[in-house]
Amino acid sequence: MRRPTGESLQRLRIFLSNLPASAYIFIMFYVSIGILIAISFTVPRKYIVEWSFTLENYVRIFTDPRFLSPILNTFLIVTVATILLIIVGFPIAYYLARVNPNLGIKLIFFLIIPVEVNYLIRVYAWRNILGENGFLNSLLLSLGVIDKPLTFLFYSWFAVVIVLIHEWLPYVVIPFYVNLVGIPRQLYEAAMDLGANRWQIFRSITLPLVKPAVLTVLFIVFIPSLGEFAIPSLVGGESGIMLGVLIDRYLSDFRLAFGAALSFILLLVTMGLSILMIKIFGYEALYQR
Amino acid sequence: MAKSADVILRVDRVSKRFGETWALRDVSLDVYRGELLVLLGPSGSGKSTLLRIIAGLETATSGRLYMDGVDITDLPPYKRDTSMVFQHLALFPHMTVYENVAYGLKIRGVPKEEIDRRVDEVLSLVRIRELRDRKVTKLSGGQQQRVAIARSLILRPKILLLDEPLGALDLKLRKELHIELKRLHEEVGNTWIFVTHDQEEALTLADRIGVMNEGRLIQVGEKWDVYDYPKTRFVAEFIGETNMFTVSIDDISGGVATGSWKGFRVSFKDGGFRPGETIYLSVRPENLHISKEPPRGEEYNVFHGVVDVEVFRGSYVIYHIRLDNGEVIRVTVLSKDAEFDPGDRVYVYWRFDKGVPLRE
Repeated sequence: MRRPTGESLQRLRIFLSNLPASAYIFIMFYVSIGILIAISFTVPRKYIVEWSFTLENYVRIFTDPRFLSPILNTFLIVTVATILLIIVGFPIAYYLARVNPNLGIKLIFFLIIPVEVNYLIRVYAWRNILGENGFLNSLLLSLGVIDKPLTFLFYSWFAVVIVLIHEWLPYVVIPFYVNLVGIPRQLYEAAMDLGANRWQIFRSITLPLVKPAVLTVLFIVFIPSLGEFAIPSLVGGESGIMLGVLIDRYLSDFRLAFGAALSFILLLVTMGLSILMIKIFGYEALYQR
Repeated sequence: MAKSADVILRVDRVSKRFGETWALRDVSLDVYRGELLVLLGPSGSGKSTLLRIIAGLETATSGRLYMDGVDITDLPPYKRDTSMVFQHLALFPHMTVYENVAYGLKIRGVPKEEIDRRVDEVLSLVRIRELRDRKVTKLSGGQQQRVAIARSLILRPKILLLDEPLGALDLKLRKELHIELKRLHEEVGNTWIFVTHDQEEALTLADRIGVMNEGRLIQVGEKWDVYDYPKTRFVAEFIGETNMFTVSIDDISGGVATGSWKGFRVSFKDGGFRPGETIYLSVRPENLHISKEPPRGEEYNVFHGVVDVEVFRGSYVIYHIRLDNGEVIRVTVLSKDAEFDPGDRVYVYWRFDKGVPLRE
């Protein structure tokens, strides 16, 4: 029994060397979240946290339509935006993967440039386009298509979806592009050789093989967007309200217990969805073609 | 084999240009029904391009293709009665063995029961019936190989095209699969065109071999003929081992040409040469003999030298002999007759009709 001594020494060393980082993560992440969860079960009081245990916050959230409708709205907006993003992003990626690689890379560069532009500037740019006195309304008015400005374009559900799409498009195109480029050309040739036409090849080879990109998009676009608060608070107005905006309102109003409960719900929902997606697609889809 | 009467595929003066380079130059070839033709050549020789043109995956810049007398030059791949086994197999990674093999039939809308029956049949043929429901990504190289072949064979193509399908496998497995492929070809009985750069593979598998280099088809024939009577230096050196002598002819009489190679006199069969002409003489190592005594008889070319290196290869031995003129030549001797040691002075000789004179 000589080896275990050496081994346990080794283990101790690994443990000690990992301790600071683990402690940091534990305190900054798990302890904070623990505190947040604990606060969510306290009696709602403004400015202060009064330690106690109650389900009052949750009961109100799930019975009061003032809370339920922003929650549903969040899902609706993000789902619509993600579907549209895939509908818009996939063809772009498909095209980029098909043109000659030099041109493809250059075009991707153009796709990325707007991401580097400051967030607020982009949002204001959209206001200039979609706002009541914006470009689109002026154009339609001067053409005589409408006789008074369209108001649903800005401070609305519609605006949130549009800005989300603009925000996330590169993050949809690039995973699809990488995925599509990685499919060996021989697979298409083999399918063609076996008698498939273009459409059959697309359906039976291309679509099933871009599953990993779909999963990536759901993880890096759909799930983070559920917590989005800047875009809806800047361009959403009342119809474009989302859970993140609600949380922000309660926290800046110092109604901490309520804000914490809403945050915990968001956390549970995103975790639940992540697990569900992995269950549906399988872990394999994350690393396997 | 019924020859000229039974041409299944005629390649007629096909050329292919990619940008500025010619991948194929004026290739003409008849493929006979039921044969296993191997296209052999180094990489970049155009052999894969020719195969892809036959499959319809590339279009010829000029020239025509006829299958059973019908012009198929402009038909898309899916309208041709050919099927291709790809270099990296190109199995569909998201499908099971069954789904891969059934793909071609499913696309054609064949009823499910018939697909099931034919998949079972073809999987039995390639001896992987028990792997039917496995994911192809979980199979070994040799098993994937069989799936790829089954996927093509199930369509009962008139011509099966194989583009270096064993390239990624290790040597031992390749040798096993060579035998398996021979058996399969006999059993299925259709025509196969097999592309490889491996001359040993070509000699093992082929009925006939077509040797390609720099976009040209240099020689086509029965494998024995191509081996024994190469048309050019390239063919002689690419298939098997050989010793090559550059000989300047100075005398031709009675069907025998004689010339000199670095101080040695060499005779060989006259192939319509003229005195003064320089030719290349190819002599296979197994056609050379060694002895300590000079051979008797007029029909031999005789060199003299010293055994330099002995390479033991199991059933045979390769001797490197340093000749008196300083050149080294290789001689193969069966191990049971290998009685020489490095340093021995020996005579190296061969019957003059065993040398193959080549103009280019």
